[in-house]
Amino acid sequence: MNKVIKSLVALALAGGVTMTAQASPEQDRAAFVKYYKDRFPEVPMEEYPNGVYAIDKVGRENWEAIEEFPPYEPFIDSGQEMWEKPFANGKTYKDCFPDGPAIAAKYPHWDKKKGMVVTLPLALNECRKANGEKPLKYKKGPINDLLAYIAYESRGQKIDVKIPEDDPRALEAYEKGKKFYFTRRGQLNFSCASCHLQNAGMRVRTEILSPSLGHVTHWPTYRSKWGTVGTLHRRFTGCNKNIRAKPFKAQGEQYRNLEYFLTYMSNGLKLNGPGSRK
Amino acid sequence: MMRIDKTMTGVALALALMLGGGVAMAAGTDAKAADPKAAEAAKVIEHAEMARKRAASVDGEWRDTAKFIKKARALAKEGKYDAAIKLAKKAKRQGELGYEQAVSQEKLRIPSYFQSYYSD
Ligand code: HEC
Repeated sequence: MNKVIKSLVALALAGGVTMTAQASPEQDRAAFVKYYKDRFPEVPMEEYPNGVYAIDKVGRENWEAIEEFPPYEPFIDSGQEMWEKPFANGKTYKDCFPDGPAIAAKYPHWDKKKGMVVTLPLALNECRKANGEKPLKYKKGPINDLLAYIAYESRGQKIDVKIPEDDPRALEAYEKGKKFYFTRRGQLNFSCASCHLQNAGMRVRTEILSPSLGHVTHWPTYRSKWGTVGTLHRRFTGCNKNIRAKPFKAQGEQYRNLEYFLTYMSNGLKLNGPGSRK
Repeated sequence: MMRIDKTMTGVALALALMLGGGVAMAAGTDAKAADPKAAEAAKVIEHAEMARKRAASVDGEWRDTAKFIKKARALAKEGKYDAAIKLAKKAKRQGELGYEQAVSQEKLRIPSYFQSYYSD
């Protein structure tokens, strides 16, 4: 009898281990939330969109002072001009995005026809191409202005990424993003999880590591280090380079799937872009 | 005169072939090309590039591998074969390690510190 129970327990434990790798997106998200709540019991959920400043009191004071005269403001204004200025063919972004400019919460989403995750920067460039305009670069430059305006207009919208069940490729893309997040890379052999999950709240050199929850709510972000606003994929690039891994292409499949996974993890949080960070 | 010229060309061609792809040949003078280290450098660089590509094919390429290979090529071109070989070997090893790193994680494994948060 004892033996039977023992082997049953062993089985259940083994099952539990494989279970986590195959968990559903909602189970993943619940685990993320539970983990960070456990690590930072004093931090309410709605604070996570503030990134490291949700857990770093000293940094927060500086940040709040900076936010009084937000360094990203000029970019919002210039983005509005871009949004309103007609293309050479007379059309505008509004023709592509009738609900615009407050459309940030619609992205990223699974596009069944294209069979891929479509992000906001990608959709903006598709609109440009469809109207005979040159696509914008995905990390630096004017795409950030446009994104800053859209982000600002979308403030307060709730993240609600869906993994549609009528197309198994959507879940596959999510799983790939999740796999990316947990995969160790580069000469330093770190995964995103090593820093932003396992060691969230710890210090590396002069920085405190932020939780991944809330990582996607505030893009584009003005960084003092950059001296300008940059995209989420530019940030991914930086984090990959820091661990001495070759970064992937901005808006390539890897980073889009990663964004899909990360944004799903932040479901329920409110958008608060553009942001400012160190 | 004519005759000699042809022979010379023939010798140079044979040399280039021996060196395995006239990369070093085209770049350097005859003296450099004759250096057996030139052939070795060309070979190690080629192997480094293969290792880099293999790592890239599984998304496992490291940040500096391609830079090392580029630098090794430049060094070989300048006739600094020892330095080129050393750097190319480093790049090759990075390619191999990056590949191994990626394939050893082919299956997603949720880290143990996180697993318990899945149970309620
Ligand atoms: C070596 C540790 C390390 C690794 C590994 C790492 N990052 Fe970071 N990351 C940082 C640091 C340091 C910062 C700046 C401080 C902060 O906000 O955490 C940062 C910032 C970020 C930010 C911006 C946060 C904000 O509030 O604006 C995002 C997004 C991000 N990382 C995503 C990732 C992703 C995705 C991965 C995996 C591809 C990753 N990071 C891997 C160290 C790391």
